[in-house]
Order: sequence, then C-alpha cells, then structure tokens
Amino acid sequence: MFPGVDFVGKYRRWFAISGVLLALGLLAVALGRLEFGIDFQGGAQFTATEADRQLTEQEVTDALPPGIAEESVVTTLGDDGYEVRTPVLSEQDSQEVQSLLAEALGAEVSATSVSPAFGEQIRNQALQAVAAALLIIVAFISIRFEFSFAIASMVALVHDVLLTIGFYAAFGREVSLVTVVAVLTVLGYSLYDTIIIFDRIRENAPTVGYNRRRFDEMVNVSIRQVIRRSIYTSIFTLIPITALLIFGESTLSDFAFALLVGILAGAYSSIFIAPQVLSLFKAWRAGSARRAPRSA
Amino acid sequence: MGSTRNNIIVLGLVVVLIGVAAYLIFLRQPVTQATQLGLDLQGGVSAQLEGSQTGGGNVSREEMEQASDLIRQRIDRLGVAEPDVRVQGQDQIVVQIPGVENPDEVIDIIGRTAQLGFYQVLAFEQNPNTPSDEIDAVQNELEEDLRDDDAFRRGETKILFEESPAFQGSGTDVTGYVVREQPDLTGEELRQNGANVEFDPTSNNRIVTLQLTNEGGNRMADLTQEIINEAAVSGEPGLMAIALDQDVQSAPEVQAVLSDQISITNDSLPGGLPEDEARQLETVLNTGALPVNMEIISQTEVGPTLGLSSLRSGLTASLVGFALVLVLLVVIYRALGLVAALALLIYAFLMWGIIVAVPVTMTLPGIAGIVLSIGVAADANVVIFERIKEEVKRGRTPRAAIQAGYDRGFRAILDGNITTLITAFILFALSSGSVRGFAVLLVIGVILSMFTAVVVTRALLGLLSGRGVHLSPGMMGVSKSSVSAERPAGVR
Repeated sequence: MFPGVDFVGKYRRWFAISGVLLALGLLAVALGRLEFGIDFQGGAQFTATEADRQLTEQEVTDALPPGIAEESVVTTLGDDGYEVRTPVLSEQDSQEVQSLLAEALGAEVSATSVSPAFGEQIRNQALQAVAAALLIIVAFISIRFEFSFAIASMVALVHDVLLTIGFYAAFGREVSLVTVVAVLTVLGYSLYDTIIIFDRIRENAPTVGYNRRRFDEMVNVSIRQVIRRSIYTSIFTLIPITALLIFGESTLSDFAFALLVGILAGAYSSIFIAPQVLSLFKAWRAGSARRAPRSA
Repeated sequence: MGSTRNNIIVLGLVVVLIGVAAYLIFLRQPVTQATQLGLDLQGGVSAQLEGSQTGGGNVSREEMEQASDLIRQRIDRLGVAEPDVRVQGQDQIVVQIPGVENPDEVIDIIGRTAQLGFYQVLAFEQNPNTPSDEIDAVQNELEEDLRDDDAFRRGETKILFEESPAFQGSGTDVTGYVVREQPDLTGEELRQNGANVEFDPTSNNRIVTLQLTNEGGNRMADLTQEIINEAAVSGEPGLMAIALDQDVQSAPEVQAVLSDQISITNDSLPGGLPEDEARQLETVLNTGALPVNMEIISQTEVGPTLGLSSLRSGLTASLVGFALVLVLLVVIYRALGLVAALALLIYAFLMWGIIVAVPVTMTLPGIAGIVLSIGVAADANVVIFERIKEEVKRGRTPRAAIQAGYDRGFRAILDGNITTLITAFILFALSSGSVRGFAVLLVIGVILSMFTAVVVTRALLGLLSGRGVHLSPGMMGVSKSSVSAERPAGVR
C-alpha cells in the first residue's frame, strides 16, 4: 500500500499537519475552554431524565431556590433531560434543589456531590497515574526494543494526549473522571499501535551497521507493510466507539469523543510521527557519535 | 504449528469453557440476575466518607475497619438490600447501596458519628416560630447574644442548637444552649442495646429510652443533683441537654435526681418523637459511636430510570459496534474472517462468563472497557491475518502461510498487549470506584482476547487447513493477481 509515499523523508510535512492541529487545540486550552467538571473542583450536579414538561434553561433556573439559582449552570440533555450544576451545597440545600427540580420537571432527579478536597485528591491521583504509566512504559520499551524506540513512542504518545485534550477543549466538552480514564486509554492504545509498527521495524532492521539512507528506506518499507493493518484496526476500534458516541448517555459520549480523537491521533502518530522521530533520533545520535571522536 | 491432536485439545477446552460460562450465566440463576449491575446502571446511593480525628491526628486502619462495620450494621438495621461497605486507602470508606427508596435517610444515618453527650445547660435563649428560610440567620443572632452571656467563657464552653417544630404556632423553635466544651457524661455509659423506642405510659407519646450502665447511673445522679442544686440557688429552671454529635435532641428540665434510666422526648409534637426520627436515634445509639469523625466527601444518587436508560444505550452501542465489526471481518478476510468472527463471539461469551463468575460489577465505564476490548480482540486477528496474506502473496501454501503468520504476528501482539496491561494495572492501583471497574475489565479483556484471537483461531485454522479443506487465496481475501506479484521490496 502507498508504494510512492516517502513516509520518513517527508517528515516536515507530517509534523506540520500535526503542528497546526496541536496549535489549534492548545490555543483552545489557553483560551480557557477546558471545562472541569465537579469531579475535579467539587460541587453538586443534578440530572433529570424523561421530564414530563419541556422547559427552557431559564425556566429551570427560575425553579431553583434563590441564592442557588444565580450560581447554577443549567444544560439540556437531548429531548427530555436536564442537568444542573451548582457549587458545593449543604445536605439540606441539596435535597431542596432535588425536590424543586423533580416538581418543576415532573421527572426523576439524580444527584451527585463532591467535596473540593476530594476533587483535588482525584486530580492528584490522575496525574500520578499518568506519570507512573509513562515511566514504566519507557523502561519496558527500552528493554524490549531500544532506548531510541522508547523516545520515539513517548513523543507520539505526548502528541496524542495533547491532541485529545486540545480537541476536548475546542469542542467544549466537560472534563470529568471519565475523561481521565479515556486519556489513559488513549495512552495505552497509542503505544499499542506504535509498538506494532516498531515490531516490524525491529524485525526488518539489519543487525549490524547504521546507514541513514538504508535505515530510512527500511522504515518506509516497514510502514508500508503494516499500514493496512493500522487502518483496519483503527476502523475496527472506532466502530464500537462511534456507536458509543451515538447511543451513549452524556458521560459515555464524552468518553467516546475523547477516545475517537485519541485513537485517530494514535493511528496518525504511529505512522507519521513515531517512525520519523525514531529515524531523526538515530541520525542525530549517529552524527554526534561521529563528531565526538573527532573533537576528542 | 501444533498437531491436529493439540488443536482438538484446545477446541475441546473451549467447548468446556463455554459450557461453564453457559452454566454460570443461564443455569445457576435466572439470567436477569446473573450480572451484577453498578449503581449507575440500576439506580441507588453511593457515598464516600473520609474519617478524621477530632484533634487532627492520624486515623488508623483498625479504626476505619471498626467504623465500616458500624456503618454496615446501621444500614442493615434499616432493612436495605445488600449494602457494600468498604474501607479504601488510609482514611476513606465507600458505601454503595443499590435501589434505595429513601436515599436521604440512609445518607443521613451512615455519616453520623453518633457521639451521645449529656450536658448541663449553663444558659439558653430561644427564638420560637422561626420560618424555615431564616433558621441560619436566627442561629447566628442567638450565637451573638449567647456569647455576651456571663456563662459563656471562650475555650471552656460552646454553643449547641436545637431545632424542633414549633410548640405553638408555625415554623421552627430554634434554641441555643451554652454548655461546657466537654460533655459531662457521654454515650460510653450507655448499656449495650440500651436504646429503645417506647411509648410514654402517661401521655402515650413516642419516646426513646436510654439504659445506662451502673457507673453511668451514678454519674448521672451526680450530674442531675448538681443541676438541681444550682437551679435552687439561681432560681432558674435547671436544664440538661442531650446531644447527638453537635445537635441537641432534647433539653428536659431536671426536676428529680435521675439514675440509669433516661428518656429522650419531644412533647411539643402531638405524638411525641416522629417515628422515623425515633428509629434512627435508636439505630445509631445502639450500633454505638463511630470511633472517628466522618465527613461525606462525595455522594451520588442515581434514579432507576436514568440507570435503565444508561444501561440500554450502553448495550445498544456495544451490540451495534460488535455486529459491524463481525460483518467487516468477514467482508475483508473471507474464510479467515469467518473464523475470527467465530472467535470474537466465543470471546464475548466467555467475557460474560467471567463477569458473572468473578463477579465484576458492571458500570458505565465497564461497558466502555468492554467496547474497547472488542477492538483490541479484533486487532490481534488483523495483525496475524495481514501476515498470513503477505505470506500467501509470496506464494506460500495456505498451511505454511498460516503457520508463519502466527509465529511472526504473535510477538507484536504480545508487546502491544503488555503495554496495555501496564496502563490498566496502573489505573487499577492508583484509582478507585468505577475507574477500577474499567481497569479490571480491560485486563480481563486483553488476556482473554490473546487466548481467543491467537490460540483459538490458530486451532480452528489448523484444523481447516489440515483436513483436506482447500483454502484458496481468494478465500482469504487475497486477489489472484497479487500472489507473488507484490513481493515486499527492499529488506528481506
């Protein structure tokens, strides 16, 4: 497949495509579009389903007790669902909001509340999980392949995670605990995809000697050999995820959205980013190894 | 590649596993009960509580275990079905109660530390008939006033409040009491199961009686004697406040020396204490005080309708996705795809069996984990089949191509899946609740997919290619023209 494409040589082109997308996403983050849910900052959230009455968001706000209404955000979910987010409430206030909403909408109301301290704990846990995962995986790849492969897969991985977060912000989706799970899943998938290609490179790589032209050509061939698999697998994985995006409730659809972006990014980076970084890193190291004896 | 005999053994094992799974899912219990649904799918209450010491010291694991036992007992006494109470980490307890009808009452009762205290009332002030939206403001006012009272000494005394339905008129009677910082007598002096809901023989009002230990009785006698004496000197009525945690339940006037029999009453209401309040009081007092303070840090109530619709949409998504993947596998890989589709069906069924057997509680993230694992399971086959097709194009016989495909594809799959497992293990180790459910299902899914997509399909294909069945390139999705024509260029 794609016999005429120079995957490695045209790295500037592939990097530029990613660069533009990354810049757009990170711009959205910089503009403060990344919206954190109550899982991370504490607060209360009320969800009404199958409401008997159709109210506008303003009407729902008016139904809330004064004092709480001003600080609440109301969103509609689908045809007959509503979601109300408020700052942290006392048990009493929370029950009041719940019963007022149930009355106003003629619906069953589910409630969630998270204390700010707990949100902070969740955030720390998430960051720890990501850091620990990265370290262990770098070690694993360095052992099973070589260090240069680990570096290249880390670059691809960071690319995928940043792209996911950027798109998440650009589309104004709410970051919750489930989003963190999605990002960690993307991380796992991105590596998995990269490793399948690296495995082929490892298999095709000559055991001795490094020559940039030969190495790059070999990487090109390796990519051509596995690109069909990458495309098929992305399709196979994206089908159930798209189904989740379409049929899922709000939480599930947020999750599916993050996975969709992350997996597309992962498929792209495993073909257009990781092998190129590997090739550039190898060339750079070979260059500095040649220069070193001369300067010594 | 394994011999025909090995292949038959593998497939025999698969048949046995399917049998076991079928037994677990359909025969052991009705199929609707086979799968444990999480709160987000069936509705219910879940709360996470954090324990802390009053002084700020560290909470021990033992104290948390003790506290979780007490909380479980309390919920059991409410007659709620199958609560799940677990200690998590150093100082947290997770409570999950499916399908509760009165979630607020349950939440209310589990977090109570239930420290019972008897206090001599040093001064008090009441604001009768307070409208409900002014209670907070009135409490602040009363607090201000009481701080100016002679009886209030900073550091030695504190102010507790009682809220009770108005004795006359409407609204709430709010009363503030100045009491000593430490209770004069605590709930430790309560006899085992010493709290009971009873009816006052004279007024027929509902009351909660407390039976104290002998020592407690003596101390109660001392305390009431002191209250009476001081009342005689000051000329004001002597009150004793009975407080649960920081809320005064009642503050009767002490008219005689009491011993080991005390009762908590509320004569301002026509029937005495309301029934549910009396029952809650009895429950928390009899299960004893929690060894540490508990604060609810997160709480979720999911209604049954929301749960059901989440379940429905999650299942729809999984089934639609699954069906499409099966169809696509067959379209692309023909005979090979058929085998892979069969293996995926086996995978899905065994997965269900494991979920029932472990048992794993199914939650929304869990469903997402399964959906993702479908993709992973299909991928293992894609990697191998692409290898097989490559070998066929090089002109190898189907049998040799299948062998080479599995040998070469396996390493890539193994390395790839190990990285997924690493992420899943870390997720499990560092997270809690539903995220854990996702991690568990992902781990099970990855391992199981290695079995069905590598071992099972290999055995099936081994039998197919060995038993005189002729697998033509076309049957594997390889066009005739590409055989031998498209030799992989370059590195060989």
